[in-house]
Amino acid sequence: MKAISELKLPEDVRYTDDHEWAKKNGNVVRIGISDYAQDQLGDIVFVELPEVGSTFDKGEEFGTVESVKAVSELYMPIGGEVTAINEALADEPERVNSDPYDSGWMMEIKASDPAELEALKSKADYLEMLKG
Amino acid sequence: MKTATKRTPLNNWHRSQGANMADFGGYDMPLWYSSVKEEHLAVLTGAGIFDTSHMAAVIVDGSGAAALLQHCFTNDLDACMGPARKPLSPGRCVYGAFLDKKGQPIDDAIVFFMEADSYMVVVNAGMGGAIADHLRRNLGGREAAVTDLTDRLGKMDIQGPAAARILGRVLSDPEAVFAGMPYFSFKGHIDPTSPLADEVRLDDGTPILLSRTGYTGEFGFEIFLAPDKIQRLWERLLEAGQASGIKPCGLAARDSLRAGAVLPLSHQDIGHWPFINHPWPFALPFNADQTGFTKDFIGRAALEQHTDFSFTQAFAGRDLRKITAGEGSRVIDADGQTIGTVLTCATDMGIGRHGGEIFSVASPDKPAGFTARGLCCGFVKVNRKLSVGQHVDIADSRRKITVTIVDDVRPHRTARNPMADMI
Repeated sequence: MKAISELKLPEDVRYTDDHEWAKKNGNVVRIGISDYAQDQLGDIVFVELPEVGSTFDKGEEFGTVESVKAVSELYMPIGGEVTAINEALADEPERVNSDPYDSGWMMEIKASDPAELEALKSKADYLEMLKG
Repeated sequence: MKTATKRTPLNNWHRSQGANMADFGGYDMPLWYSSVKEEHLAVLTGAGIFDTSHMAAVIVDGSGAAALLQHCFTNDLDACMGPARKPLSPGRCVYGAFLDKKGQPIDDAIVFFMEADSYMVVVNAGMGGAIADHLRRNLGGREAAVTDLTDRLGKMDIQGPAAARILGRVLSDPEAVFAGMPYFSFKGHIDPTSPLADEVRLDDGTPILLSRTGYTGEFGFEIFLAPDKIQRLWERLLEAGQASGIKPCGLAARDSLRAGAVLPLSHQDIGHWPFINHPWPFALPFNADQTGFTKDFIGRAALEQHTDFSFTQAFAGRDLRKITAGEGSRVIDADGQTIGTVLTCATDMGIGRHGGEIFSVASPDKPAGFTARGLCCGFVKVNRKLSVGQHVDIADSRRKITVTIVDDVRPHRTARNPMADMI
C-alpha cells in the first residue's frame, strides 16, 4: 500500500470524496479514479461503464470497478451526458492501476453544469481528507 | 472487549514491502504486495510463498491420543489412507473437522501422525485454544496431553510447480528429503530434540517439519519451524526462487487459489450448519457405499438423524465478474425462487473459458492464443441438491450473474503430481 506521500495526485484534476477525479479536457470533462482508489482496490480486473449517450446526475452511480478483492461503485463527480468511454479498458483494465489519470481514464462527459466541476476538491483539499 | 491484533514473525517484513494489510482471524496479515493477479499466477506457473504463522498447531500426546482424536475428529484415523482405506501411518496426515454435538464444525484441521502416541493438529487462525479446550473437555479418562502451540511455532508455505526445485536449494540433502514423499505426507519434526528432526534440515542446520500439503491446489509444501528462523528462510527462498519467478503472496491470492481448487474456508464455507452434503466427503468416515460411517465420533448422531440439510456445492461463472458473497447474497433457480446463499465468490485469475470449457494458464492442452481472463467461482449453500451442469443465478444487491454448478473448477492442478515430475 502506498504511503500518502507516494500517491500521485496531479494539480490539474479535481477530486471527489469517493475518490473519483474529473478534469476539463476541451469541451468535455474526463473522469477516472484516483491513485489512492486504485491502490486501495488492488488489481483491477474489470471496469463496467455506461453507454455513450446516457445521462447521470452528480453523485449518481455510473458503473462499477471490479478488483480481485471486491466490486465497487463509481459515482459521477458532476452531472452530464456520456460522450465517450475508454474502450481500451475492456482489454486492459490494469491501466487504471498503472496510469489512473492518463491511459486509465474511464469516460468523458458533457457537463450539465460546469460550475459543479469547480466545486470539487482541489489536490490540497483531497490530500487533507486522505490524511484525515 | 477488543483484543489487540496479533503479528506474525514476518509482520515487519510485510510492512517494509508495502503490503496491503488487513486483520484476518485476529492477525495483521498481508492481503497482497503489489499485484494479487501476479501472485496468483506465480503459484500456477512458478512458485509463491505465504506467511501462514497465523495458523495454530495443537499437540496431542499420550497412549490415549489416537483414541481421543478418533472420538473428536471426523476422519477415521484407522481407515483414511488411499482407496484401500488403510490406517494413518507415521509421517502421513489427513484432513477432517472437529464437530460439536449438533454436527457443526468448530474448525477444520489436518491431523499429522508424528510417531507412536504423538499427533500434531493444525487448525485455523485463532482456533488453537478452542480446539485444545474441546479436546481436553472430551478426554473422558483417556491418557493424553493436549498442548496449544498458538504463536509458538512459525509456519510458511511454498506452493507452485517450482516449489521443490527452489526449496531443494536451501535444504541439506534434498534428494533424501524428497524421496518417498507423496501428497499428504511429511518429514521432520517441530521439536529440535526429537530424533525425527534430523530427517529435514536446512543447509544451515535448522530443523523443519516439511509437509506436502497446502491450500492452493498446487504442488508444494507447508513448512513448520521455530518462529525466529522463519524470516531467514523466507528471504533465502525468495532469493533461491528468483529465476523461477517466485513471489511473496498474500491472503487474497491464497483465497482465489483455494476457491479455484474447490477447497473450503473454515467459518465461511463450513460453519454453523451440519458438516455434510458438501464437496468434501473425504473428510467424513463414510463406508464404501456411502451409506454410513465407519467409526463413532462427536457429531455423528446429529449427522445421521437429520434429513433436512442444506447442500454446499461449487460453481463457476461465465466470466470473471463476481458478486459479494455472504449475508444479502442469493441463489435463484430457473423459476425465480431464492434457494440459498453464496458462501464464497472469488475470481481465479489463472483460468478462463474457451468454447465452454475451462482452461488454466498451466493447461498443457490450452488452445492456441488462449489468455486467462479469470473466472468467478466459489460455493453456494442451497436447500436442494443441484446437479452438475445446472445453471442458477447468484445475486447481491447490485448484480445478478448466471453460474454453473460444477464438481471442479481449475483444471490441471499440480498438488497431486508425482514428486519425480517436480524435482
